[in-house]
Amino acid sequence: MILAASTASRQSRSSSLARIFLSRPIRVIGLAIIALYLFMAIFGPVIFPPSTALVANPAKVYQGPSWADPLGTDFQGVSVLAEIVLGARGVLMVGVGAAFFIVVVGVAVGLIAGFTGGIVDAILMRITDVFIAIPQFPLLLLVATILNASSPGLIILMLGLTTWGGLARAIRSQVLSLRERDFVEAARGLGLGTGTIALRVILPNMLSYVAMNFLVSITGAIYAEVGLLFLGVTPFTPDNWGVMLHEADSVAGALYTRKSVFYVISPLMAILLLQAGIIFILGGLDEVFNPRLRKTGATQ
Amino acid sequence: MNEIALSVRNLTIEFPSESGRIRAVDQVNLNLERGKIMGLIGESGCGKSTVAFALLNSVPSPGIIVEGTIEYTGYGNLLKMTPEEQRLFRWQHVSVVFQASQNTLNPLKRIEDQIRELAQAHRIRDVRVLLERARSLCESLRLDTRRVLNSYPHQLSGGMKQRVGIMLALLLQPEIVLFDEPTTALDSLSQESVLQIIREIHQKDGLTGIFITHDLGIVSEIADTVAVMYAGRIVEISPTARVFSGPLHPYSQALLDALPRLTGDPRAARGLPGSPPKVVGNVSACLFRDRCPRRMPVCDLAAPELKRVDESSMAACFLYSESEEANVHVKMH
Amino acid sequence: MRVVRRFGVSLLMIWMVMTITFFMIRLMPGNPIMDAYLSLLQQGVPSQEAMAQIHVLYDVYPNQSVLTQYVLYVWHLLHGNFGTSIVYAGRPVLPLILASAPWTLMLVSIGITISFFIGLFLGVLIALNRNTWFDNVMSQIASIFHGIPNYVTGFIFLYFFTVMLPWFPFGNIYGNTVTPGLNFPFIASVAYHSVLPIAAYVFGAFGTWTLSTKSAAVAVLGDDFIQADKIRGLTPGQQLDHLIHNSVLPLFTGFVLSLGMMFGGAVFIEETFTIPGLGYLIAQSTSQRDYPVMQGCFLLLSSAVILANFLADMLYSRIDPRIRV
Ligand SMILES: Nc1ncnc2c1ncn2[C@@H]1O[C@H](COP(=O)(O)OP(=O)(O)OP(=O)(O)O)[C@@H](O)[C@H]1O
Ligand SMILES: [Mg+2]
Repeated sequence: MILAASTASRQSRSSSLARIFLSRPIRVIGLAIIALYLFMAIFGPVIFPPSTALVANPAKVYQGPSWADPLGTDFQGVSVLAEIVLGARGVLMVGVGAAFFIVVVGVAVGLIAGFTGGIVDAILMRITDVFIAIPQFPLLLLVATILNASSPGLIILMLGLTTWGGLARAIRSQVLSLRERDFVEAARGLGLGTGTIALRVILPNMLSYVAMNFLVSITGAIYAEVGLLFLGVTPFTPDNWGVMLHEADSVAGALYTRKSVFYVISPLMAILLLQAGIIFILGGLDEVFNPRLRKTGATQ
Repeated sequence: MNEIALSVRNLTIEFPSESGRIRAVDQVNLNLERGKIMGLIGESGCGKSTVAFALLNSVPSPGIIVEGTIEYTGYGNLLKMTPEEQRLFRWQHVSVVFQASQNTLNPLKRIEDQIRELAQAHRIRDVRVLLERARSLCESLRLDTRRVLNSYPHQLSGGMKQRVGIMLALLLQPEIVLFDEPTTALDSLSQESVLQIIREIHQKDGLTGIFITHDLGIVSEIADTVAVMYAGRIVEISPTARVFSGPLHPYSQALLDALPRLTGDPRAARGLPGSPPKVVGNVSACLFRDRCPRRMPVCDLAAPELKRVDESSMAACFLYSESEEANVHVKMH
Repeated sequence: MRVVRRFGVSLLMIWMVMTITFFMIRLMPGNPIMDAYLSLLQQGVPSQEAMAQIHVLYDVYPNQSVLTQYVLYVWHLLHGNFGTSIVYAGRPVLPLILASAPWTLMLVSIGITISFFIGLFLGVLIALNRNTWFDNVMSQIASIFHGIPNYVTGFIFLYFFTVMLPWFPFGNIYGNTVTPGLNFPFIASVAYHSVLPIAAYVFGAFGTWTLSTKSAAVAVLGDDFIQADKIRGLTPGQQLDHLIHNSVLPLFTGFVLSLGMMFGGAVFIEETFTIPGLGYLIAQSTSQRDYPVMQGCFLLLSSAVILANFLADMLYSRIDPRIRV
């Protein structure tokens, strides 16, 4: 019964998904922004083949916008737009990967701690507490320096390992409160096992929270990743927004000339715009999972 | 007839919601005589508290008073006063004992400091006199005076907070006090003493008030007249004795029938099946008709208005307006 | 009793952080000490001498067992010996940190205070105008600025107000014509140099305070006593006072924690504006792999945060009568 009800509501969810996201201009803008980034990440190298687009051209150093280079050129004469577009894939991959890691670990630890209780719970929560107490970014700096990691996989691992604590604790406390609710009691009454209840009954009820955390974690991970590159902690990868900032700050003399404005501002705007896109659709996501928030509740 | 202290005309209050603007209070008219207590009864959700809040022009958001006047004799229409005039009018001239008094105290301040704030807000210079009055009120409310004034709200029990709420309501000696289920949170002993105090102040100082409650026993003890509300409308106003001996409106009768009698078979108490409708927009039929044992054809055609039935009572029911019924019939042809 | 227990837990956590950092540096794949030792050997340095050099740098002998190293490490820490810097040739870590701290503490504490009050103001204003266009616009703006990394605001302020519009000085925390000390030109110069970094910090932080204030104030506005205040005829000022007082309480812990975080400096801002504070020290030591300094900064910061947590816990019961025991 309970499982049936939850699948039924999931179906009605997807049918009204489009309506919810298209109902407000701001969400449409958010979706458009995210689509743009996905497009850059997927088709970037097709539009700007790195072998030709990233070649230095001393004749074109720090030029203003033109038809050929809509965002001007950098200190080597490379098109800034090409650098931004080509940077999207790496940045997004690490951001999404790290967010995925955070959500999986956070939810797993939270669910296990909340459901088993007792000594397992106590141990898991002590560990979580330490991870929460240690300031995240400095820890990340330390780990990144030691590992000297350049592979995306390791960076994802690093970002994930330093950040999962907050979500784990939040999930645990949600589990504790959901456990007492009627429908969970009912599921238990039906003789469903603890694992089944955790995954099929409790988890769906936290989906909205988890999904929103996933999105917010993406931006958090991107900030951190770009920040590490900016500080020059993680090794140089040619096409990344953070590297652009690092070079602007320390190599290219960009901070001494007004001509570099597009070069300096573009990577920052790329980060801000993605953040804005994600923020804009968060409200819609909230509505998808919490029908109470919907303005036009009558159609339900 | 006595002097009128408060007169409400055409009071209508709506709460915007997803399914339209819910009309919580619809065209309410009532007169409150000076020195008298009016009981206000009716099912949960019929709009009693909303009326009380409206009398101070403080309907909880998102509610709005869409129509009506609230005329305090000697002061004029509350709704026409400036915000500052309204602020000073509240509590000095009319106060409330809240339905959920437990939660109406600022958790971060001692009771005594809350009294000082009240003095400051109402420009009372001599705080000592006010505190003295608070002490004597506490005493008559059977509160441990010193302890209570020095306590933070969380250090008091629910019943104590409720009585602090009553103390605060009486503190500035307002002419009118609105009691919204003031005794619901109390044990029967405290309940009795609270009623005793209200009765005393009523008799000694000529307190005027509205007493909202679900306890018809208390109404019969304390009220001079009784107003019966149903789905946001007043359906009957009668002297208390009449309501208990032979009410006019079928709904009033139903409320009485639902009361378990001390004498006789408890199973004789009859509940009223169904529930009151949520009203959106204008009403074009009697709202009680689906639950009414004395439904007539005319009840589907128009909403009965509150009309004087005789010199002491009013009712909103076609049973008492033959001519109106005739009118409707004429219109139909 | 509770105080003692909580303090004990805090010390335990500091010890855990200490231990984790130690083993992280020593046991991770890129063990820097072993690396340094091996590279010295490769350069043809005799092993005895390499070992001595490593000892000078890291305060350990590579051939000691990890456990011995650990005990020595804790022993030295307890005596305030955080080791010696590699980059700042042989200077002890602790004085290095102490010399950087004042600038950071000044900048960040001002930044935290300003952003906190801006956030408080905006958050209450948004809550009072819930579901209006003001709420919609300001909440989105605050969400975008919430968690925005400081390098974004730092870069934008730096570039626009020193390069595009050369209104403010660039680099360091005072001009090179003034002499440090309690004299007016020096203080004026510091103030002038601080404007942009503080502004950058405030823009990076006010969104978070705005959002937390808003959610706290919205909750308080739903409480019965706020409605009752109005009905009791309290003045708008008194009502606002109650609202703010009750909304600030949930922010208190975060505020004290951020004061603890202060010891991490504003890494990005100090790096962008080249301010010789803790953040700059951290950034420099990380990019040059100056482990002793990194480790010292990290330990100091973690301890500050853990102790701030403890402090917040203890102080909270003083500002909220409901918690008082
Ligand atoms: N904050 C609100 N938002 C929306 N609707 C409300 C709100 N407060 C009251 N209402 C509407 O007003 C109606 C009357 O509520 P009110 O609190 O006046 O009832 P009541 O007669 O005092 O009930 P009770 O005996 O339970 O106290 C309710 O049925 C509800 O539809
Ligand atoms: Mg009520």
